[in-house]
Amino acid sequence: MAPPAQSQRSPSPSQPSGKGEVSDLKSQLRQLAGSRAPGIDDSKRELFKKVISYMTVGIDVSSLFGEMVMCSATSDIVLKKMCYLYVGNYAKVNPDLALLTINFLQRDCKDEDPMIRGLALRSLCSLRVANLVEYLVGPLGSGLKDNNNYVRTVAVMGVLKLYHISASTCVDADFPAMLKHSMLNDSDAQVVANCLSALQEIWSSEASSSEEASREREALLSKPVVYYFLNRIKEFSEWAQCLVLELVGKYVPLETSEIFDIMNLLEDRLQHANGAVVLATIKVFLQLTLSMTDVHQQVYERIKAPLLTLVSSGSPEQSYAVLSHLHLLVMRAPYIFSSDYKHFYCQYNEPSYVKKLKLEMLTAVANESNTYEIVTELCEYAANVDIPIARESIRAVGKIALQQYDVNAIVDRLLQFLEMEKDYVTAEALVLVKDLLRKYPQWSQDCIAVVGNISSKNVQEPKAKAALIWMLGEYSQDMHDAPYILESLIDNWEEEHSAEVRLHLLTAVMKCFFKRPPETQKALGAALAAGLADFHQDVHDRALFYYRLLQYNVSVAQRVVDPPKQAVSVFADTQSSEIKDRIFDEFNSLSVVYQKPSYMFTDKEHRGPFEFSDELGNLSIGAESTDTVVPAQRVEANDKDLLLSVSEKEESGGPSNNGSAYSAPSYDGSSVSAAASSQMLSELAISTVTGHASQSSLAIDDLLGLGLPVAPAPAPSPPLLKLNSKAVLDPGTFQQKWRQLPISSSQEYSVSPRGVAALTAPQTLLRHMQGHSIHCIASGGQSPNYKFFFFAQKAEESSTFLVECIINTSSAKAQIKIKADDQSASEAFSTLFQSALSEFGLP
Amino acid sequence: MLQCIFLLSDSGEVMLEKQLTGHRVDRSICAWFWEQAISQGDSFKLQPVIASPTHYLFQVVREGITFLACTQVEMPPLMAIEFLCRVADVLSDYLGGLNEDVIKDNFIIVYELLDEMIDNGFPLTTEPNILREMIAQPSIVSKVLSVVTGNSSNVSETLPGATASCVPWRTPDPKYANNEVYVDLVEEMDATINRDGVLVKCEIYGEVQVNSHLSGLPDLTLSFANPSILDDVRFHPCVRFRPWESNQILSFVPPDGQFKLMSYRVKKLKSTPIYVKPQLTSGGGTCRIDVLVGIRNDPGKTIDSITVQFQLPHCILSADMTSNHGTVNILANKTCLWSIERIPKDKAPSMSGTLVLETGLERLHVFPTFQVAFRIMGVALSGLQIDKLDLKNLPNRPYKGFRALTRAGEFEVRS
Repeated sequence: MAPPAQSQRSPSPSQPSGKGEVSDLKSQLRQLAGSRAPGIDDSKRELFKKVISYMTVGIDVSSLFGEMVMCSATSDIVLKKMCYLYVGNYAKVNPDLALLTINFLQRDCKDEDPMIRGLALRSLCSLRVANLVEYLVGPLGSGLKDNNNYVRTVAVMGVLKLYHISASTCVDADFPAMLKHSMLNDSDAQVVANCLSALQEIWSSEASSSEEASREREALLSKPVVYYFLNRIKEFSEWAQCLVLELVGKYVPLETSEIFDIMNLLEDRLQHANGAVVLATIKVFLQLTLSMTDVHQQVYERIKAPLLTLVSSGSPEQSYAVLSHLHLLVMRAPYIFSSDYKHFYCQYNEPSYVKKLKLEMLTAVANESNTYEIVTELCEYAANVDIPIARESIRAVGKIALQQYDVNAIVDRLLQFLEMEKDYVTAEALVLVKDLLRKYPQWSQDCIAVVGNISSKNVQEPKAKAALIWMLGEYSQDMHDAPYILESLIDNWEEEHSAEVRLHLLTAVMKCFFKRPPETQKALGAALAAGLADFHQDVHDRALFYYRLLQYNVSVAQRVVDPPKQAVSVFADTQSSEIKDRIFDEFNSLSVVYQKPSYMFTDKEHRGPFEFSDELGNLSIGAESTDTVVPAQRVEANDKDLLLSVSEKEESGGPSNNGSAYSAPSYDGSSVSAAASSQMLSELAISTVTGHASQSSLAIDDLLGLGLPVAPAPAPSPPLLKLNSKAVLDPGTFQQKWRQLPISSSQEYSVSPRGVAALTAPQTLLRHMQGHSIHCIASGGQSPNYKFFFFAQKAEESSTFLVECIINTSSAKAQIKIKADDQSASEAFSTLFQSALSEFGLP
Repeated sequence: MLQCIFLLSDSGEVMLEKQLTGHRVDRSICAWFWEQAISQGDSFKLQPVIASPTHYLFQVVREGITFLACTQVEMPPLMAIEFLCRVADVLSDYLGGLNEDVIKDNFIIVYELLDEMIDNGFPLTTEPNILREMIAQPSIVSKVLSVVTGNSSNVSETLPGATASCVPWRTPDPKYANNEVYVDLVEEMDATINRDGVLVKCEIYGEVQVNSHLSGLPDLTLSFANPSILDDVRFHPCVRFRPWESNQILSFVPPDGQFKLMSYRVKKLKSTPIYVKPQLTSGGGTCRIDVLVGIRNDPGKTIDSITVQFQLPHCILSADMTSNHGTVNILANKTCLWSIERIPKDKAPSMSGTLVLETGLERLHVFPTFQVAFRIMGVALSGLQIDKLDLKNLPNRPYKGFRALTRAGEFEVRS
């Protein structure tokens, strides 16, 4: 019983060392058990208190069970309570001894004092020992009919506990029907509320097996029942009110007039002191009016003030939960909150996650009338002590600029940022100015004047540096010394660690060359030479590409590298509106706090980032279980980054045929260790398992493999491809083949909405594909990104197909790479795979 | 539906464990929680909802005690957080404060309370009045009584009558020799003044706190002279909604003892009672700070307990601050605290000093935010005024008392 963690904790002085004390207690209890001396209760009480304090600090005192039960014959209610507590805690591990307690508990259930009856009944039901259920039915039955409301409330909950121990006993004793009767007829509101919660739970879990139960569950949402609760709502305790409001939220009114009746009835709940009640009411209002656009609008207006009050009152914990909900609403209907923008101003000592939410809201509510003030406020945060928030607020200014038509003032502000001498401010501002120019090319004159003054030496962050270089290339005709700045950057090629920057540098110098050839020619030559010698595959490839392009035809090169651009009108949103709607449907739940719908996080077994299909379950599962502790949001972020980086690398490692320049496939141990900080380590676990052993030989295999793409002339179109439904491939072989074979087909499909909806977890797709004789070797990821490795074998021969499939559910796209032993059949297989995938989600 | 509640001490020790449902939550979750708390520091402490590998955890921290609740199913987060806050309130009310020792000494009472407050994961009653009737408080009186009478049970003999009554918040039929009722207006002013000295936001959050010692079942009506200034209100469950809706009158049967009758918000105030003007000039590796404080808008009562504090930036080597009034202290966490108390009549208080920056730093790039605190007795700065309080259903004339108080909430001045 004592948890393993106990030993690590420093023992507090009050904590006894264990064994000796327990046996001491045992003998003392034994002495007291038979005694009937006066004042015995006091000494018993001391002993009981000791036992329970041991239990509380985590020492196993279950060995005292017998003695405790013997001592429990007492009329003292405190003693009884302590005894009940003890028994409730240890009955499960001592089912045989628990039988001893039944007797005295049953007797207490018939006590004169309703308090004792209630307590005894509660303890009896908390024993949770399956073979004692027969003793529960009698006391529960009489408890439900007790004339005291306290006993009845306890009995109702007892029925629910019984149901969880043994559903059949509960149903056979006809308890649900009795609860239903009490729910509709009992005079006490708490009894009614407990009946409701118990019945909801019982009927929902019965519904799958019994038609009657599912009918009953429907009946809970029928008009008479819902109205019965609504009319009594003020009698309920605040917690029970939450329960009722939840029920009402699920009710679908038949007529419009009903909606208004309900809202009128519940309006004063918005003023309740308990935030949970307020939020539950808001949910009801929002759900009821979903289909009535203008009323829905009015509801937003109405709930605005209570929500804002809830945020400013209450503890920080409460206000965070409310703020998350407010955030959701603000994002849905920013215009309604635009006059209350001051509420989203950040306070100095707020935690940064609150500030982050507030910044997002400020960005959302900005409109023509308040932009100036919001931007002024945001600019103050740029000097904030909290650097991530300072960055975040500069980004917010940029986002506002991108969504407004009148950007005059904002551009000035951004340019001021550039002149502040803080490197992170400059860095963020540069990135923003770049985005801004892509959308509003007309501002180039003003921006370039300022950007030109920034010394590239002061810019260190790769993203910012890339942005600066992009601008240098794009506007080189207006910037006087652009070629020379680029030239000096190229001189320092070796010191530039970020491949992204080097790539941008190549492109920028090309663009500059087209505009001012004489001044740039030398720099271009140096850049291409440096690029060709670069160890990074992408940089190398791009340099080679540019070089050949220039060789071929300069004007074509210009059309390719520096075409006239159209201003970007809208930047893509990060979270799909479908997901936002899902979260909104789950208003007043954890989904809102996590900012993702519940299917993405609730089912625990699906939260692991990586799972092997069943038959491979024994392989490196350990990595998953220890690493899942990273909070969900971060998991997703890492996930995304990693998936992208992995696929990028593969591209670079795949179809290149410049064998000599290239060192090792990027899919090896080193890339894995770079990613090891995230739990996605396990994603690549197979590669490390086999990778280490066979690394040396692989490099050679790989070079040989690279020669292969010059495939023999395609065979006459193959007959319909048949796959072996019982194909087997062990992960090692898979890995080896994956390294050896070239990509024979790489495509992007779109996935049907049905497919996206069905893909709540990797397993669903696995089962589906298995039906098409395509087996999964490894899968992982988390919504919206999933990654799968499949394999299949031809029916007649042992020719295998390997597939890597990355599905992004928010963009509904699947990227598929196929490698095949038999190149000629890959086309047929690709079609087959695609058709299998497109059937996914069909009933 | 909550599955388990743990109480952890400030060293991470499990002081109390209350399993609520059949799905036992293993204690190791606390060890996991504590490890995370240590490795992630303060930012973790502030997260109310946490996803652990096995459970969703809600945490509320009060006086160093962590109240931790676990669940595996979807539930309204605010319900769990509100409930934990109530548990904390009730415990501190019962035990006369919250700390490790008091919980360890009274853990039986804590168990008893939790037993009545939540059953099978659903909150039952958190109304202190009802609980107090079910489980007696461990007061000195009861200790004396138990010694004298030899009856040391802290469980009351009868079941609370209020559970059945239609005013569940009120003890049925309390009797007092002196009938008294006190109404306090307590307001907090939140204000933000930006770098240019402009008041960008000024708002008041206020509460009407009532302390009632009245016999029988009294019926009270409280009206304000100017209820229209209130922006949004929230009420104790005892307030009847209709009279407020139609005439802005608070009509209610009060609970016994101290309670929060209503809370309200008044926004868009135009000025603050005092001004704080910081001035920073930096150059040559130092930064000179001057702060002036004075009365801007005399509320007519003395303003006391005035303090101004700010966090010293990380990039400074030393700070030398002095003032012409009050005391200046640099606290251990690099906070500079200037206690002014009251503003003297003859001079305007000012604090000035020099910060020496890290070598290599020419100018200060981070501008501190000054947090201001003050207190004004006898005035509600929102301007809210109580018109009258009528009492019905009372045998004799009660004593009525009114007070008001305003203090600074989040009052910050940026530089």
